[in-house]
Amino acid sequence: MPTTLPSLSTVFSSLLRADLTTQWRNRKSSILVVLVPVLILISWKGLIDKIGAAFVISNCITVGLIAIGLMGYSNSIARDRDKGIFQRLRVAPAPSWSIMASRLTVQLLMIVIMSTVLFIVGYKYDHVTFSISGYIFGFAMAVVGGAVYLSLGQVIVGLIKNPETVNATTRLVYFAFIVIGMFAELGVLGKEIGDLVKWSPYGTVKRIVSAGLEPATWNNQTTEALLLTLGYTAVFTTLGIKKFRWDSK
Amino acid sequence: MPVLQVEKLNVAYGNFQAVRNVSFEVQPGEIFGLLGPNGAGKTSTLSAVEGLIKPISGTIKVAGYSVREESMYARASMGVQLQATSFQAELTVSEIIRLYAGVYGLNLSKDRLEAILSDIKLQDAAGKRYGQLSGGQQQRVSLVIATIHEPKLVLLDEPTTGLDPQSRRQLWERMEAMREKGHGILLTTHSMEEAESVCDRIAIIDHGQVVTIDTPQALIDSNRDRPEVVRASRKGRITLEDVFIGLTGNTVRS
Repeated sequence: MPTTLPSLSTVFSSLLRADLTTQWRNRKSSILVVLVPVLILISWKGLIDKIGAAFVISNCITVGLIAIGLMGYSNSIARDRDKGIFQRLRVAPAPSWSIMASRLTVQLLMIVIMSTVLFIVGYKYDHVTFSISGYIFGFAMAVVGGAVYLSLGQVIVGLIKNPETVNATTRLVYFAFIVIGMFAELGVLGKEIGDLVKWSPYGTVKRIVSAGLEPATWNNQTTEALLLTLGYTAVFTTLGIKKFRWDSK
Repeated sequence: MPVLQVEKLNVAYGNFQAVRNVSFEVQPGEIFGLLGPNGAGKTSTLSAVEGLIKPISGTIKVAGYSVREESMYARASMGVQLQATSFQAELTVSEIIRLYAGVYGLNLSKDRLEAILSDIKLQDAAGKRYGQLSGGQQQRVSLVIATIHEPKLVLLDEPTTGLDPQSRRQLWERMEAMREKGHGILLTTHSMEEAESVCDRIAIIDHGQVVTIDTPQALIDSNRDRPEVVRASRKGRITLEDVFIGLTGNTVRS
């Protein structure tokens, strides 16, 4: 009897269900990923009138995106690779891309949840509201910005095999991004560092999310930031895929 | 038609050639053992059959499908039990079975799931997370996943390592039941007792090359007078282990 192949939709939905279940069972770490930007949002309440709600919310979303891409995604990939979970799936008739696509879909959902929580907290706690188009563009830009950090996470798991080292590296990069990024954005670290951060993944993502929330403020510099964000994503994705090994041995 | 055909397989890692011109076949309803010391090339051969590494030359066909050109069909025709525990520790036994049923395109009814769990005596552990199972229970889950889609070829990589004698015997019985159903099984093991008990034929592989292929008894009979085999004998009679030591040497491999 000839062998028949499973349909791609069946394979993908099975993978996605399992990945969503795993994410749900690890919800404590997911809560932490959302909690940090929420705490920043709450603690920056006094700054909203001075620097604008879009600035504050976009900063918080950017911090959340960094956490999702670096801490959530890359650590789960490094851990599962080390356990041989990917190799087990790859000896089944599941295309390699579907295994990763399922993981990325879960992270996409995390981005939507994190952004929604920040919008709700911003509304409830700080009475921050945006137009409908602002929310829609804000979500869209959060997803575009999230891709940068997911692809950066992919580079880290591509370059480093040991899950403990991946964990330590992502924490270090996360810390560097949020501390340097936030302080530089507030003008604390001087003009040179400020300019550097402005065109770094932190600055470009923050700006496109901010302009997404207030579409009327979108200008040429925002378009440049969007193009640069897409460029970062393309470079990190290429490097991340090229360097990635399914086996940690 | 053989369920597995390996012809002139060569695998290399950089300048190191791990597998050299390895050829063998596994027939339906046959348990074929691949034995060799550490680093002999067993895992590389198995990985090439699984499609996890790309050989530099040679052909591998699973149920007639080329592992390289028709990889998805080849994968769908085989079931694999890897050496390491390789399922998400957070998922329950039922969830893992459902995941792999979906990946192999099976529509798993509640009754069928219960029958599977009952078959591996894990009805009471259906809702237990994989990470909380004992080694023997994990092996049973792993084996049931490897055979859930009734594959023509089953690859078992050192399946009884770390199991107690009862669990090991139970696994042998499962392998024999699979053989009765017509599955071809490729088994790697370090246990000569296991190879002698369950394998229909054995290939001894060393330094990346097949040293010999035959039935366990024929291997013993044809090698019993070799001086290196006689020297290796410790029980006053020639065993498969003596033949293995005689043919591959008694130096400990890394």
